[in-house]
Amino acid sequence: MTDTPRNGDHDKLPAGGADAHALRCADCARSDSLVTDLEPTSRVPIPAEALAGFPDGVPHAKRGPRGVDRRSFLRNGLIGTAAVYSATRLDWGSMWEAALAEAAEPMQKSIVCIFLNGGNDGLNAIVPVAADQYSAYQAARSNIARITDTTTGSQASSGTQVGTTVMPGTGTTLAFANPLVSGTGNNTDTKGFDTLYGDGSGGAGSDLAVFPAADYTPANRSHFESRDYWFAGALQELQTGWLGRWLDAYGSQSNPLQAVSLDSSLSKQIRSSSAPVCAIEDLGGARFSVPGVTVADPNAEVGKLAAVAAPSAGNVSLARSRSIYGLTVDVSNRLTGLGAVQPGQGYPPNTDLSRKLQLAATLLSAGLGTRIVTIDWGSFDTHGGQVTAQDPQLAVLSRGLAAFKADLAARGIEQNVVTMVFSEFGRRIASNDSQGTDHGAGGMMLVSGSAVRGGLAGEHPGVKVDDDGDLVVKTDFRSVYQSLISEWLGGDPANVLPGGPFPGIQRYDGGTSLMK
Amino acid sequence: MSRLAYSANRRRARRAKRAAAKPRRHRLFLPPASTVDQTVDLTSMSAAMVDRLFWRAGFGPTQADRTAWTGKPVKDAVNWLLTTPAGVSGVPGTNGGKAFDPTGDDTDLVLSWVDRMVRSTNPFPERLGFFWHRHFANSRASVSPPQLLMQQNDLFRKYSDLAANPTASFKDLTHEVTINPSMLRFLTGEYNVKGAPNENYGRELMELFSLGITNAAGAANYSEDDVKQLAKAFSGWQIDDSNPDAVTSYFTPDRWYNGPKIVFGKFGNYHYDDAVDLVLAHPNHPAFLLTKLWNEFVATPPDAATLAKLVSTYTSSGLQIKPVIQQILTDPALFASLSEPNLVKPPIVYVVGTMRALGAGVTDTSATDHLDDMGQLPYFPPTVAGWEGGLSWLNTNTALARFGFAASLISNATIDDVPGETASSAYDRAYAAVGQPWLSSATQAAIRDFSNRAGSGTSKLRKERQLMLRALMLAGPDGQVM
Repeated sequence: MTDTPRNGDHDKLPAGGADAHALRCADCARSDSLVTDLEPTSRVPIPAEALAGFPDGVPHAKRGPRGVDRRSFLRNGLIGTAAVYSATRLDWGSMWEAALAEAAEPMQKSIVCIFLNGGNDGLNAIVPVAADQYSAYQAARSNIARITDTTTGSQASSGTQVGTTVMPGTGTTLAFANPLVSGTGNNTDTKGFDTLYGDGSGGAGSDLAVFPAADYTPANRSHFESRDYWFAGALQELQTGWLGRWLDAYGSQSNPLQAVSLDSSLSKQIRSSSAPVCAIEDLGGARFSVPGVTVADPNAEVGKLAAVAAPSAGNVSLARSRSIYGLTVDVSNRLTGLGAVQPGQGYPPNTDLSRKLQLAATLLSAGLGTRIVTIDWGSFDTHGGQVTAQDPQLAVLSRGLAAFKADLAARGIEQNVVTMVFSEFGRRIASNDSQGTDHGAGGMMLVSGSAVRGGLAGEHPGVKVDDDGDLVVKTDFRSVYQSLISEWLGGDPANVLPGGPFPGIQRYDGGTSLMK
Repeated sequence: MSRLAYSANRRRARRAKRAAAKPRRHRLFLPPASTVDQTVDLTSMSAAMVDRLFWRAGFGPTQADRTAWTGKPVKDAVNWLLTTPAGVSGVPGTNGGKAFDPTGDDTDLVLSWVDRMVRSTNPFPERLGFFWHRHFANSRASVSPPQLLMQQNDLFRKYSDLAANPTASFKDLTHEVTINPSMLRFLTGEYNVKGAPNENYGRELMELFSLGITNAAGAANYSEDDVKQLAKAFSGWQIDDSNPDAVTSYFTPDRWYNGPKIVFGKFGNYHYDDAVDLVLAHPNHPAFLLTKLWNEFVATPPDAATLAKLVSTYTSSGLQIKPVIQQILTDPALFASLSEPNLVKPPIVYVVGTMRALGAGVTDTSATDHLDDMGQLPYFPPTVAGWEGGLSWLNTNTALARFGFAASLISNATIDDVPGETASSAYDRAYAAVGQPWLSSATQAAIRDFSNRAGSGTSKLRKERQLMLRALMLAGPDGQVM
């Protein structure tokens, strides 16, 4: 890292050409949002019953087989592994007892945190369209600017600049870039940010709170340091994440499934001092497969071998082998069914965000006491070729968030889940010669859910270039965390966020609450 | 994080948990008896009998084994296994093109042993050596430097290479193991000093290595006082690891409890070797060890007459290893259920057997990665009692690991395209390529059915058909038994 700029200046990057969209900082390719210096204290198999026994839509309170034991789990199949990070050694059995004890309780309020990796350019997502503001915007970034009518289409493929759709309740001063908006030519789906946002009033059907310029001051343009601040919930590097400290104060001391990073290792957001937490990379990979085979279905063929006539009595070894192979096929089929979405709730196909959101919905609805899920997604470090790199991701985010909300609703738990979206910083107002933007400040932050008071929840600073060429930060991100704790998760923010209290939420309509 | 590091964590956790839960039990899976096939002719082996013998006493048959031994007496083949020196052939394995660095990298430590098994010219010494590793189970998770385990591995091979050491005895082995640096470290014997006796080794010697807690009738084989007295006899040994490549153990008379001990009611000022002799002279020792040894090779426990005969052979030979092995491997019970193999392949046997069947060498960490996922990483036994084994080898995770390992090896191999190849020819070619493993007739029919259904119109489809056929033959449910 030492030979790459840490201050966010990338002016020396080559000018954009055909491959301009590939330009990123050399040190941004790796994901540093995960705790890599911390080893799990144990890896715990996840039994099929934990998820597959509770099909979609079963009322939460009815779940909860008690008296589980390790042998029955092994007999009935495992579907994945949780890497557990715990200050104290957790016994396998007691851990699942703790998780399943939650199943008998009403579901508690939960949060899903989606981190947009790389520094999302909020200014091209939430566009100032009031006449004077727009001309400043257009002048500062003419090579990537949106246009102000609702024209749709891809700038990259059609040469047509992407249009915008005005955000209700903003007095036609702000608009969503059309990749965020539903519609055939926009995000290509019937739902998106516009349908989540509704009329922006914060009433029923207005479920998406938008903070157009959330960050902290002074800006730190290092990906790594800035992420650490956001994850820690403090403008310093701490050993624990803000949600980890919340868990230490208000979470379980025995259920690592209370907070899950959907990744190979732990997000710094949920790194704790004492509360156990875990990372689960995948639950769906448990299928028989043969590298290079794409037409035939190895899982199905193995299933046929497992189902041949039973071996002679007394040959328990062969009987066991066939039954376990058959069970493995069964479990993978059940999980595949579990992950299937209802018609009309389509997640954007073939994206990592969809996979993780479906996994999150599965975990949250399984009734295992999961209260926090972290997702690290995307590649938003758009130093070059920004439009072609960012727009498809914005469309996926828009569709994914809407599909996730519908999925949760179909599972009967949507009212208990809010989703927060953030990135480590915004980007410069002025674009560079590579049709991209460099590291800046004041990014887009979102909170979604039917419990959320939708609408413009933080001020847009306008295209007023500050001394450093950044957006002026109007919402301290810790103010949003503070509201999430006091109004949603519960507990005293003072026990979680150092340096508080922070100014409250300032909605455009004068409201000060994040939740309905 | 490396997989081995996580394994070590996981195994440490299990060990800690196990240590907290006394008494410890050494569980062996004993399947119900099944009948011996009437067709077994010990004087003229069928191909199925050759397969059986080489799976149980090695890592599966080669075509050469089948050619050499079909039609020959069992005793000749067993004699070959017990009198052919340990050795390797072929190109030494690598880890990503680099020679193994077993003292610098734990993965290489494990791979180097797997490589030795894969390339063994006589598989039996490696197979029996692994049995001693399971029996006197020491883990790298708590033994450093790794040279200690390599040295112990050589010690085990000395007692499994029966061509080089035809009169090797369990008694000599136990004498050596008792003061073996790895064992002194693993079971903390190096801290066993007069005035502060450490009972760890003496207890495990009796409970796990030689006697068992109780005899067949349920009576205790030893008392807690015997444990205390044994500890005194084992005191005084330490490790000199100042040169990691030449670690030695040494005896310091001043650290030894120099005084009377009473073991099993016998009185004397015993040293470590006297104590080992006393334990191995215990009436329950032969049956304990020989039952475990028998169960390594045979799916059903020995009946009373067979066990009595084994005990007689063992004691009359001065606890020699070769005569009892010879008796076990030539017993008709080894060939029970020939038409339907009836013992789960332990992961190490499955992995090495799969590689040998495919002619694959060690070139990367696939073997260790998958062994770990299958629950049997050599040099990392979960506890001093070794691996539980038996049916516990198979669960939905390990089934995926077993299939995945073979499937990845199969996919790495070069497969010729044969345009116009019929479904039947494709089946035959695949079957030859994977070493003609045992498959039940119903399984053969199911795989042939796949071959008939599979597309073959393009070279890609024909390649897929071969990949699928080979994986289904080698890595399906029938491939897990021997």
